Amino acid sequence: MKIPVHVSEESREPIYHQVETQIKTLIVSGQLLPETPLPSIRALASDLGCSVITTRRAYQNLEASGFIKTVQGKGTFVREVKQENMEETKQKVVFDAFEKAVEQGIQVGCSEKEINHIFTNVMKKNFE
Amino acid sequence: MQTSVLEVKGVKKGFKKFHFGPMNFELEQGMIVGLVGANGSGKSTFLRLLMSILKEDDGEIWFFGQNSFDDQSDYKEKIGYAGELLEGYDFLTIKGIKNLISHWYPTWNEEKFTELVKRYRIDIDEKFSKCSKGTKKKIDFIFALAHDPQLLLLDEPTAGVDIVSQGKMKEDLIAFMETGERSIVLATHTVDEVNQLCDEIIVMNQGRITNTFYKDEIHDNWGRIWVSHLTGKVKNHPNVIQYEVNPPQIVTNDVSNVEDVLQAEQITINQSQRLSMEEVLEFLIEQE
Repeated sequence: MKIPVHVSEESREPIYHQVETQIKTLIVSGQLLPETPLPSIRALASDLGCSVITTRRAYQNLEASGFIKTVQGKGTFVREVKQENMEETKQKVVFDAFEKAVEQGIQVGCSEKEINHIFTNVMKKNFE
Repeated sequence: MQTSVLEVKGVKKGFKKFHFGPMNFELEQGMIVGLVGANGSGKSTFLRLLMSILKEDDGEIWFFGQNSFDDQSDYKEKIGYAGELLEGYDFLTIKGIKNLISHWYPTWNEEKFTELVKRYRIDIDEKFSKCSKGTKKKIDFIFALAHDPQLLLLDEPTAGVDIVSQGKMKEDLIAFMETGERSIVLATHTVDEVNQLCDEIIVMNQGRITNTFYKDEIHDNWGRIWVSHLTGKVKNHPNVIQYEVNPPQIVTNDVSNVEDVLQAEQITINQSQRLSMEEVLEFLIEQE
């Protein structure tokens, strides 16, 4: 079984963290429904080209924060996520995406005003 | 739980023109370790020493806490080796070899053997000597797995093997590791195998280990950084492995350290990217 998770070539973010965030996003957006089986740590490590140490760490964190569960002898599954967890993750995912966009804006030399202008345009395009 | 499956302490072996070791090595349960290095760097010698096909001049080898000197111990039953072990029986058919080998192992799994022979489309009535290079490799692989070992020692298992069978072997190795209790040492020249299978990488050169690292350390530490300009200090920095002037860029094995140096030299970072496994292995194998 494959899930759409990948490791970024550019990002300096640790791989376990990238994997954690992407799986959380897939769960919160409803692409991975409760009880969906997830690949084993070995299979996921193979798909991502990382070690099992990294995938194990990502799964342990996801389990601790209530997104997935491991059933002895059966594998790892998506859990029914609590509403407050859903909300918190949703906020965090969008916040991080904005932050990345703003960083890129600063990198190419945009002023605060320019970035704000672009932001308003994007919002208009999507919500009006 | 982290248990040592294999421990090698100060193992040495002298040949006419080649000295192996001293080798120190430890393998944790649940891990796949990749052995990489140029031809003649000692990877196969290492595996043959582990299998007692070659006898070490000095040092100790421990499997599952048992010393390999102890002939009474049963550790060999728990090891599956795919190398050139079957060449001595090449006058026999695959079936003939099986009748012989299955007697050596109390844990021989006939069902598994039959299943693998079918999966890799092996004609068991064929003489081993008549098989192609790739087919021999597949047969080695099947015999390594068919007695349900705890540890696999694989010497370039996919060399000369067709693409579809290579994929099957990869699947079988991932399935083998699924319980988390088994381990693999894999000598390989294939970057894909390092990427898709290994947790830890050992680089060998002239009979010695020159580098050991967990695969993810490459992601964290190695990178190519495009910069505004270069200074003498940066060019000569020990963590700068390579540089190019146009466009100015460096390759480093310690990104965070070099970033500090760049900042101190007032050099702007335009872009940075992680290095592919292939590039890193080329640097490491070529380096010494």
